[in-house]
Amino acid sequence: MVPDAAILVDSLQKSFPPARSGWRSFLQPFGKPTAAALAGISFKVRPGESLALLGANGAGKSTLLRILATLLFPTGGSAQVAGHDAVLDPSAVRRQLGYHAGTDVGFYARLTGRENLRFFGRLNHLSSPLASERIAYLAQQLHLEEGLDRQVRTLSSGTVQRLSLARALLHEPRVLLLDEPTRSLDAIAASEFRRFLKSEVLGRGDTSLLFASHTLPEVELLADRIAIIDAGRLLACDTLAALKQTTRSATLEEAFLRLTGRTPHLTAEEGSE
Amino acid sequence: MIRSLSEVWIFFWRDLSVARTYRILFVLEALEALFGAAMFYYVARFVDSPQLQHALPEGGSYFAFSLIGFVFFDYLNAAMDTFDRSLAEARDTGTLEHLLVTQTSLPLILAGSAIYPFLVTTIRIAVYIAWSALLFGFPLRDANWPAVAAVLLATLLAFSGLGILSASYVLLFKRGNPAKWLLLGVSSVAGGMLFPVTILPDWLQLVARLNPVTYALDAMRAALLGGAGLEAVWRPLLVLLLFAAVLLPVSMAVFAWALRRTKTTGTLMHR
Repeated sequence: MVPDAAILVDSLQKSFPPARSGWRSFLQPFGKPTAAALAGISFKVRPGESLALLGANGAGKSTLLRILATLLFPTGGSAQVAGHDAVLDPSAVRRQLGYHAGTDVGFYARLTGRENLRFFGRLNHLSSPLASERIAYLAQQLHLEEGLDRQVRTLSSGTVQRLSLARALLHEPRVLLLDEPTRSLDAIAASEFRRFLKSEVLGRGDTSLLFASHTLPEVELLADRIAIIDAGRLLACDTLAALKQTTRSATLEEAFLRLTGRTPHLTAEEGSE
Repeated sequence: MIRSLSEVWIFFWRDLSVARTYRILFVLEALEALFGAAMFYYVARFVDSPQLQHALPEGGSYFAFSLIGFVFFDYLNAAMDTFDRSLAEARDTGTLEHLLVTQTSLPLILAGSAIYPFLVTTIRIAVYIAWSALLFGFPLRDANWPAVAAVLLATLLAFSGLGILSASYVLLFKRGNPAKWLLLGVSSVAGGMLFPVTILPDWLQLVARLNPVTYALDAMRAALLGGAGLEAVWRPLLVLLLFAAVLLPVSMAVFAWALRRTKTTGTLMHR
């Protein structure tokens, strides 16, 4: 049976123990969590839907994505991917998802791009011929052919980012989690990346996407709905049109600033008017 | 089972591919083994005497006794280092998170990461012994190879448990493991590396009897120098397997707990 939610997040909470220094750092793993990163967030991503997480730095976007990727345990509530609980059944969750963090690419620098992809593909249970086939397809789609047979340490940061996205897509996951995916890409590469995501991943209709981004045009282009998060709380989760309407805003930026209670920063020229 | 082996193999392939980019290191390590073997040969020539040879368990030369002690002690070093070094490297290069979101289980990731370092240690030991046999008369005629292989395997399993415990410590506290240095230090004195444990005071002999290194070296010397077969080394083999039977499940449980703890505190990628 296909679950009616690709991602289901219910009253999700996450608190971290405070950082300690000196000998007290030895006690940190046993410390009581105090700082709340997520304060009871609930939402749902439908199969084939794309949902953007929009929020200031430290709002809790990456924490949420890392809980869904089974890299963090929540303090309370639950998170499910394709009907599987991220804490109780993490291996079933990992079968369904691809994860790419724009801040941390994590490759073996002295292996080539192709060797890295083959390694991670095999760890995701792809046979050798299928891994080769997928690598060739994704390399073509993401314009990676030139970098594929060079050691990763010699590649530009943009190429490494695209390689990381290829890794996330290698095993054709049903759910794709992207954390600031175009962070290190130049304007052209970012645009090509979005085009690929829109046509080749979302266009097929069988992959759900949850992504965090600070780039508003990217959010507007890729997201069916937008979740606005601030200080670990979900302030709104709706379509772009509905967000603009409910906040009586002309743009997404304005809607975001209104919802988070921040005043738009006026330029000197605007302020003197 | 086949899939698990294939996953373990892919880690070995990864490490071999990385090592191929440092080819000169293989040559340097072979040369290091040559100089190491020469050093033991000349130290042994300096200190060897009929009384000393008579005091050694196999009655052979001090050269053979000390060389085996030294090179097989490397196994303990490798076991204690392999797991926490691959963990620290994965954390520092950012690959740890990406390994943990794959469909490969944690025990397989750990086992896979250990295969290449253990194999390299085994080859290094073989190179040491080959140089020693070719140039310095290390006695290999009587070696019982099936028994040598069995002792190696049991040693590897017993020491792996200690290595995984060490990695759990590094996962939790991010720093080098003091217990690792304590074990290596104690083992260098009360493990029979360069002298028989029978010359130690009673209380240190008791410590030696609780140390898997002592059993590994006793069995290896008996099989390699004395030609002892499986029927003769079964007792130290059994002790090593008992150490493995206790340490491996305990260490895996401790590591899984440490990983859960870091996922709770959010310190998985902290350095």
